[in-house]
Amino acid sequence: MNGTEIISRLKRLGDVNSVKDINQLTAALFPGAHCPLMGAMMAVGGIEDAVLLVLGTDECTYYTKKATIGGFSFKGIDNRCFSVVLDHHDVTFGCREKLQDAFKELMDDIAPKAVFIVTTCVLEVTGDDVDSMAAELEEQYRIPVLPVHTEHFKTANHIPGVRDTVTACVSMMEQVSNEQISHKKVNIIGQRMGKFQETQLYEILVKHNIEIGMMLPGGTTLEDIKHAATAGVNIVVNELGLPLAERMKKRFGTPYVMFDKYVAPEHVLQAYEELFDYLKIEMDEELETMYKECVQLTEDAKEILSGMRYVYGNTALSCYEYNAFMVAMGMEPLLIQTNEYPGAADSYVKSILECYNPYVTKSANIAPLQYVYDELKPNLYLGHEYENRLRAKKIALVHDNNLSSMLGFDVTKAVLAELVRAAKDAKELAAGEGGK
Amino acid sequence: MGLCRYLPTPSDRMGVIWTLLSAKGAVVLEYGPAGTTHFSVSMYGQMGVEPNQSLFTTHLSEDDIIMGDVTRLEEAIREIDEGYHPEVIFVVSSSVTSIIGADIKGVCTYMEQEINARLIAVDTGGFKGDYSLGMREGYNLLTKTFATDQVEKKKASYNVLGASGCDYRMRSDLWELRTLMQEGFSYTENAILGMDSSVTALTELGAAEVNLVLREEALEAAKYLEKTYGTPYVYGAPYGYEGTACWLMKVSDTIGKSVNPELSAKLRMRKMNAAGYKMYASMYAHKENRPQSVLVGDVNRIQGFSKIMEEVCIPVTLKISNHSLAGFEAEDIVKPAKEKEKIDLLKEKKYSLVLGDDISLYLCDESCEKVVTSFPLIRSKQIAEHMPLMGIRGMDYLLEAVDRYYGRL
Repeated sequence: MNGTEIISRLKRLGDVNSVKDINQLTAALFPGAHCPLMGAMMAVGGIEDAVLLVLGTDECTYYTKKATIGGFSFKGIDNRCFSVVLDHHDVTFGCREKLQDAFKELMDDIAPKAVFIVTTCVLEVTGDDVDSMAAELEEQYRIPVLPVHTEHFKTANHIPGVRDTVTACVSMMEQVSNEQISHKKVNIIGQRMGKFQETQLYEILVKHNIEIGMMLPGGTTLEDIKHAATAGVNIVVNELGLPLAERMKKRFGTPYVMFDKYVAPEHVLQAYEELFDYLKIEMDEELETMYKECVQLTEDAKEILSGMRYVYGNTALSCYEYNAFMVAMGMEPLLIQTNEYPGAADSYVKSILECYNPYVTKSANIAPLQYVYDELKPNLYLGHEYENRLRAKKIALVHDNNLSSMLGFDVTKAVLAELVRAAKDAKELAAGEGGK
Repeated sequence: MGLCRYLPTPSDRMGVIWTLLSAKGAVVLEYGPAGTTHFSVSMYGQMGVEPNQSLFTTHLSEDDIIMGDVTRLEEAIREIDEGYHPEVIFVVSSSVTSIIGADIKGVCTYMEQEINARLIAVDTGGFKGDYSLGMREGYNLLTKTFATDQVEKKKASYNVLGASGCDYRMRSDLWELRTLMQEGFSYTENAILGMDSSVTALTELGAAEVNLVLREEALEAAKYLEKTYGTPYVYGAPYGYEGTACWLMKVSDTIGKSVNPELSAKLRMRKMNAAGYKMYASMYAHKENRPQSVLVGDVNRIQGFSKIMEEVCIPVTLKISNHSLAGFEAEDIVKPAKEKEKIDLLKEKKYSLVLGDDISLYLCDESCEKVVTSFPLIRSKQIAEHMPLMGIRGMDYLLEAVDRYYGRL
């Protein structure tokens, strides 16, 4: 494959108007992105007493069940993932009867408290009205039955599946009176990986005697969801939680604070300040100290990071904030892999474009990247890649494995430490000293 | 079908893809949403199939579906042809492209004019049947696509037809077959249809002197090779000591060469040593929990293990096929229409010797002796390549399980 030709198909960030302008590196992909069905599976996995009912082909249902047996909070063979397998008859005549029969079996044998019916590509093409089927079942069995649509041909990856499952939960939330709302209680929305209980933000909240309510999708119960409106504020730790937070604000008046995995110390501080305002507590001295420490660490790291050229893959962090931070550190983005585009007015996009105009492409297609490296010659790769393959091309891999369970200044510290380590590694590789 | 609690039966599409992936030098291009491809990779890994640079997806957008736009497919074909230079690209439809009626055959026909690779359209969208049907199609495609007209016979060589990554411990079984064919007849392996193969090897399919057919799904391919190249075939696999001896005799009759007396003597000795198991069976037949076995898996495996159970005189009280029985001669094997029926059948079995997949074993009572012999794997791994279920070593291994089983009764 010709790297120059591959690159010639890509647009630069400054030329992008919408996410549709972000081209795939190649038309033939491997392995390709995960689908929203997987996202829905991950989200339902985090709701302890809810059941996932996948409505799809043998293939979609097989892989989903297989994945749940191995993990994603479902645990074990007899877990909360079930399916209704569609055949050619259902494609032609609809699946209403089959779903009703299977649902009866589910209620008779398992009697779940709530069911998420997750549709897949085929149903969205045939146009079967699963929403009305879910409504019927909800009325018949008197439990929440929530339809979630996960057709992959409308989305770039699995995140919309998590987002839509989480958002669907608003229908299970009960209205509360003003007296029932506690300003010392928060909900955590959007923690899709790692445990919130292990984050710095959690420690700070506990220290200030703040009660943690619903943690969606990071590990919650139907009871927590039902009483979610009793929280004084929602903390949105990933933008996939924004639609739910918006709905809760509209329906219950619950305000929200965006507290993503920010890397830049000033963004972390700002998020803490906004949160503390809502919680009506004084800014923490300990946090002020951490902030100063992170500012100093950032300054110290500039010397080694400045001039580092990198390719950005898929990481646990917020893509544009992280890239804007690295640009501010003097690093040069050559190619950013992303499935999102927040718009030209986005402050992070603007910050990046003030210094550089990197290529952009969709993520999860690592096979042709090998040819791109030869043309762009990066020092670092951020995201998931085969390390040995990168090292052979004198590129150091920046890991992000530990970031899932981080929120707050811990993110800044961990990111800086890893970037500095990788930059030193890259310099050794360039000098011919770092072969593994 | 009703509610599915565990794993549904893999589709024809899954079966055809894992079969086609066995031929290095060919590429499988899925025309459908990328999520399915990504999801499938771990399953192929478990089967020992490495899809790096041999499996691709085009992904699909809503626009492609609404407008019937195949540009994405055309570009992917060009890229693979230029970038990886495969001899063949199998373009496999997905459930979505099948439903919208995407004309992949048409695309393959006109695209073939402008690229170097051969293009084969596989319109198996997952709705025709289960993986058994897909494997059948895969074996036929591999045979008819690659086997060349002009081929010189290689003396004392054999092909294995119908090997598959979906058969637990197949690499070990192939190793055992190599040993048996070498020790028994001084024959060497020519090509394997369905596993660890390559386009180059498959072009030589017609060169072998005999075809060893392990699965019913590969019989059609065997008949095609017999008709085209005059290659005779032996259908069935060596299970148990007696079964192995019979199988060696069948091969001997087919190739017109006697079995090496040393191997025959070795088998006789093994049979003599195992004679005690028949005695155990009659002794334990009077106990409260009489010896009985349960077999779950693919039809050919069940038939093979049935022979083993016959050899050790343990009655088989339940045989469940993992795939459809259409086209199989298997009157005593059941394939429950609903998963619930299968669960009920397995749950009632107690103090049985159960050979099957991880989920079936999980469903059986703890009083049972459980041996993994089939996919899907959940708790078990497949690492060793020297622990067959077929042949002499296979029987050695299974007798150990029989021994443990008697310890439970």
